[in-house]
Amino acid sequence: MITAERKPMEEILECINPYNRILLVGCNECVTVCAAGGRKEVGLLSTALQMAFMKEGRTLEVKEITLERQCDPEYVEELITYIDQVEAVLSMACGCGVQEIARRYATKPVFPAVNTKFMGASERQGVWSERCRGCGDCLLGLTGGICPIARCSKRLMNGPCGGSTKGKCEISPDVDCAWNLIWERLKALGLEKKYEEIMVAKDWRPSWHGGPRRIIREDMAE
Amino acid sequence: MENQNTKQTNNKVLIIGGGVGGIRAALDLAEAGRDVVLIDRSASIGGLMTQLDRTFPTNNCDLCTLSPHLSETGREHHIELLTMTELAELQGEAGSFTVTLTSHPRYIDLEKCTACGDCYEKFKDCVQFKPGLDHRAPTCMRYPRAIPQAFSIDISKCKDIDGLVSVCKSDAIIPDDTEKKRTVEVGAIVLATGAELFDPAVLDNYGGGAYPNVVTGLEYERIMSASGPTLGSLVRPSDGKQPQKVAWIQCVGSRGINKADVPYCSSVCCMYALKEAIVTKERFQDSIEATIFYMDMRTSGKDYERYRNRAEKEYNVKLIRSRPHTISEKPGTHDLSISYALEEGSRNVTETYDMVVLSTGFRPTEEMTVLSEKLGIELNQHRFAKTAGFSPVETSRPGIYACGVFESPKDIPETMAQASAAASKAAGNLDILNEMPASQEEMLPERDVTDQAPKIGVFICDCGFNIGGVIDVGEIAAYAEVLPNVVVAEVAGHGCSRESMLNIQSKIEECGLNRIVIGGCSPRTHEAKFQDMIRRAGLNRYLVEMANLRDQDTWVHKHNPDLATKKAKELIRMAVSSVALRHPLTDHLLPVNKDILVVGGGVSGMNSALSLANQGFKVYLVEQALNLGGLARKVNRTLSGDDVQGYIQELIAKTTAHERIEVLTGATVVDHKGMPGMFTTGIQIAPRMYYRQIKHGATIIATGALENRPQEYLLGQHNAVMTQLDLDSMLEKQPEKVKAWDHIVMIQCVGSRTPENPNCSRICCQTAIKNALRIKDANPGARIFVLNRDIRTVGFQEDYYREAREKGVIFVRYEFDAKPVVTGEGDQVLVSFRDPVLEKQLEITADCLVLSTGLVANDEATEDLAMIFHLNRTDDGFFLENHIKLRPVDLHVPGFMVAGTAHSPKDIRESIVQAQAAAGRVLTFLAKDTINLGAGVAKVDGKKCAACLICVRACPYGIPFINAEGYSEIDPAQCHGCGVCAAECPAKAIQLMQYEDDMISAELNGLLERIL
Amino acid sequence: MGNFEPVIVAFCCHYCAYTAADMAGSMRLSYPSNVKIVRVPCTGKVDTKHILQAFHKGADGVYVAGCLEGDCHFKNGNIKAARRVARVKKLLSEIGIEEERVEMITMSAGMGERFAQTATDITEKIRNLGPNPVKNIRDGQKQPA
Repeated sequence: MITAERKPMEEILECINPYNRILLVGCNECVTVCAAGGRKEVGLLSTALQMAFMKEGRTLEVKEITLERQCDPEYVEELITYIDQVEAVLSMACGCGVQEIARRYATKPVFPAVNTKFMGASERQGVWSERCRGCGDCLLGLTGGICPIARCSKRLMNGPCGGSTKGKCEISPDVDCAWNLIWERLKALGLEKKYEEIMVAKDWRPSWHGGPRRIIREDMAE
Repeated sequence: MENQNTKQTNNKVLIIGGGVGGIRAALDLAEAGRDVVLIDRSASIGGLMTQLDRTFPTNNCDLCTLSPHLSETGREHHIELLTMTELAELQGEAGSFTVTLTSHPRYIDLEKCTACGDCYEKFKDCVQFKPGLDHRAPTCMRYPRAIPQAFSIDISKCKDIDGLVSVCKSDAIIPDDTEKKRTVEVGAIVLATGAELFDPAVLDNYGGGAYPNVVTGLEYERIMSASGPTLGSLVRPSDGKQPQKVAWIQCVGSRGINKADVPYCSSVCCMYALKEAIVTKERFQDSIEATIFYMDMRTSGKDYERYRNRAEKEYNVKLIRSRPHTISEKPGTHDLSISYALEEGSRNVTETYDMVVLSTGFRPTEEMTVLSEKLGIELNQHRFAKTAGFSPVETSRPGIYACGVFESPKDIPETMAQASAAASKAAGNLDILNEMPASQEEMLPERDVTDQAPKIGVFICDCGFNIGGVIDVGEIAAYAEVLPNVVVAEVAGHGCSRESMLNIQSKIEECGLNRIVIGGCSPRTHEAKFQDMIRRAGLNRYLVEMANLRDQDTWVHKHNPDLATKKAKELIRMAVSSVALRHPLTDHLLPVNKDILVVGGGVSGMNSALSLANQGFKVYLVEQALNLGGLARKVNRTLSGDDVQGYIQELIAKTTAHERIEVLTGATVVDHKGMPGMFTTGIQIAPRMYYRQIKHGATIIATGALENRPQEYLLGQHNAVMTQLDLDSMLEKQPEKVKAWDHIVMIQCVGSRTPENPNCSRICCQTAIKNALRIKDANPGARIFVLNRDIRTVGFQEDYYREAREKGVIFVRYEFDAKPVVTGEGDQVLVSFRDPVLEKQLEITADCLVLSTGLVANDEATEDLAMIFHLNRTDDGFFLENHIKLRPVDLHVPGFMVAGTAHSPKDIRESIVQAQAAAGRVLTFLAKDTINLGAGVAKVDGKKCAACLICVRACPYGIPFINAEGYSEIDPAQCHGCGVCAAECPAKAIQLMQYEDDMISAELNGLLERIL
Repeated sequence: MGNFEPVIVAFCCHYCAYTAADMAGSMRLSYPSNVKIVRVPCTGKVDTKHILQAFHKGADGVYVAGCLEGDCHFKNGNIKAARRVARVKKLLSEIGIEEERVEMITMSAGMGERFAQTATDITEKIRNLGPNPVKNIRDGQKQPA
């Protein structure tokens, strides 16, 4: 899933400071699952913003709505009923959602209320960590199911650097060395030989280095 | 259901004694559909436990855990409660007794008394009742949550009767109240009269009663109690100062042979002294020094040994093995000086303490002797109820059962188990006669209010002077009348009285009310009553809200009526806003399968199975071994000399012959599913391991324990070394060999009370003494040494300990860090140990070395079963009960009970008690055709759910799961109703019924609406 | 601010603090009438949203009163509640409202005295903090900058 985290309140308040009526839009997909922008967080942020305004002797009207998914135009269309009643939109979805609203409602200012962080997995209740950077050319089959691009701080492709100590990365004792994990996993699979194979330099063109990407399914696309 | 033993004329049971045992028995019987008359000679029920500050080993507040049970008692339709009542006469026989009861005058009308405390206020200096620290007062309520919630008066002590009468606003005082007599027909009687505590004033060496700073354990509890005379401040009676050094002296009046002593052990004092010391240290840490003087530390209950270790290691409670001879008071300061001899080298020490607590034990009361004569039951040599070895709750007269301390000294969990056992036995004599309680018959059908706009009726109680005396209830009603959606607002007097209830009911019908607010007392005590009332008036029971105007307003702000009035209006506003959003809820009912699965075919399993089968239930008894009997097959005699093999053979014969018991030996439980009342368990049966499923409504786990055989002291390596069980078998089968032994050494606590297995195995001390006495019988000249760390012969077992010493068995203490050393010497073994009294290393060449190895959990088996049935276990692999104190045989999963040594090490008699108790608890569980799981459960809105798993991970019981449709589902039958999932759900897809978000919002808005 | 009477909302667990409040009543212990109780089945049910809502609607202080650690009727609802209270504290300070206005308290059902003492202490603390700043809204609407 895509993970996100609420922006500092100060930054959000600065964005909406010029307005008195806003639409606060949550998303029932990834940001709900990572507890950053679902119905509950929308309610909390709405109340907090109103209180911040009241403190200044001002009133903020907030219309709250949580869409099934902000990255699909059909769902974003549901905002049409409210969009004219507000001066600005604050989105709690990931960057995709914010942009979809901006695309659809060209004349309405849209602001993000969360920082989109990474594609990750939940380690346990309340903890998410990065797993994938969308490089466009998955090599997990070679690395025992552990991605050195997302999980090695240096994005090394052929084994750990000298900073790997006791299975941890030198940037922090809380971060596992991805190559250590890869080694352990390959060992467990009895595939130590794979580790010895030299990976050729990665072709980064399928990733973001080749400019904005797009997928077209010819059998479906209209 | 057929009746086995008795000819029956009615289904009532008389319970004498309203302590925890009596209450448990009453609740069990009532839940099992039997009528109960519960009598107690004091003014309120609750017994001794209500006076305790906290209970071991959880150190919880007792009042808090007990009071819900008490109001349960008040509520049960099946229970008639008669306080200040005694039995005068008994006639008839089991199944058709006629009892005559005498009720003493209370001088207060229970119907009218509101427990306002005005009488108590006016007669301040003589009214407060402080058990043990104060004289009895003319009016007394024993503790703030007494049941019945009413005072009582000792008229003979009151000098100004007219003044007393006029002080009561409710006219509840009846100065000319008289004694009343009545006769009741009952089928069985349960005796739960408890005992009294020894009064140390009769001893001249400890200054009990003479020195102000010498108190009894119970008095110390009262001093520590938040509802006690000092409101919980620990102070010395002599000068009101906090003590710095407190000492406890154990066995005061118990385990003695001097005047005023009793020979038996009181069983509970070691634990209560430890508890008092720990609670003291918890509250005051190092500013108070706590010392306990003891003879043997008898912490042999479940996990009690760990409690003892915590006291010593974590709390620095000093434990000194010595029985001080005298306490003397220092003139002027009231400080206390104790001189005592240390076991080590018989050295004498004198030390000064600020306060001394005498750990006094249980004594049978004079009244009990009188009562037992009236009942025609026999008492034992200690004047406690006489029961046979293998029928622990049956008195000498059929149809009369005993439980709790009246049977023998014991703690609360054992009392609870015995009470359930006695209830189960008593219920066995009686069928359920009237299935349908009268109250259900007169109920109107439920009105559908789902699409109706709220029409709220508000009723404000004055509760006599309690509310009406502080605020103007008319003003509150007038205020409520103009609130949104309110149709009627009225003053209701005593809202919970019969007339008021009828009036509210007719208002509901007359005005078409569909939501009700009661401004009165606490929903904790009265919500159920008002829910029943509106249900009778044709409304769903969840459409009523209570505003707590009494306990949380007028009682608190009685000196400031203006503020109280303002707060009352706010509380009413909150309730009105919130009740408008209430909607009808359905209680979750499940049909019940009445068959029972008993896992384990030892003494416990067979006893449970027979108890239930005799009451008409079908029982599946599953045993993993190829034959029934369990560990008891290896035991020949009990401590009191009963023939175990004879008993087991008879038990097996009865079990296998019973038409309603299906015995499945060689059978292993392999899978399990379903919910309480409708389980399905899969078993595999040897030798062909064919698979079979059993459907059942309840389960009893009686899988027993294993004999511990640690590799220590040459066990298994030398022929002269054996366990107590091996010895038991030799005594029976090769007596001539035993006779030939000159020197026998026994070592206690082998494999128990060690870092690896910290708990005490409970049965080894009595087993060692039993076998020592048997050897002495066979060969009086045999020299027997019992090397021990403490001798833990609790209760009447102490008699045998004394007998063994009298017969020359020598008991020598050893310390854990200086264990005996054993080496082989031909056919004999050389045992070397240190005698602390002689301060010498001794050596004995023994013909036989017997190791007291105790019992350990069958870790593998209990782990498998815990996994299959979702049960909890203790660290040492025994099953963990639901509530260590109050629900000792119930497991965490409803419909599961535990019996016997699967729970913790215990002897055969204790196992039988628990087996019968487990059967009794199953009886209550299966009494109804359906199980009501209440309505306060979490509900998921599938459309909003993002299947994020947060609820799945947050639920403390692991109930939510993502269903086939891809959203979270919460089984109402398993939901405990805590609401954690609702509060955590990031999609706001979960609501907890009865506490929905919009209701809480409305409540807040009701309070805060006019602030901004 | 001399006559300032704070409004305080106490979310109380049915099994402990609510019972302790009743207990304070039956012991006739007086405490400030400023505290109003909202009963919940477990403090684990107390939603961050409702705590914030109380402040939004003008409450000057809020506290959540649950069972002593280890005593929760539902295993650990009180621990979860304590974490949520910590989150509300952060949120409040982010919007410039004193985080001391919200607290987590624990007590057992028998602690009537503790209930009364806590109510008194918290009321006094909030009284010293002054009114909830959201009440500035009453001073009239300012125009956006």
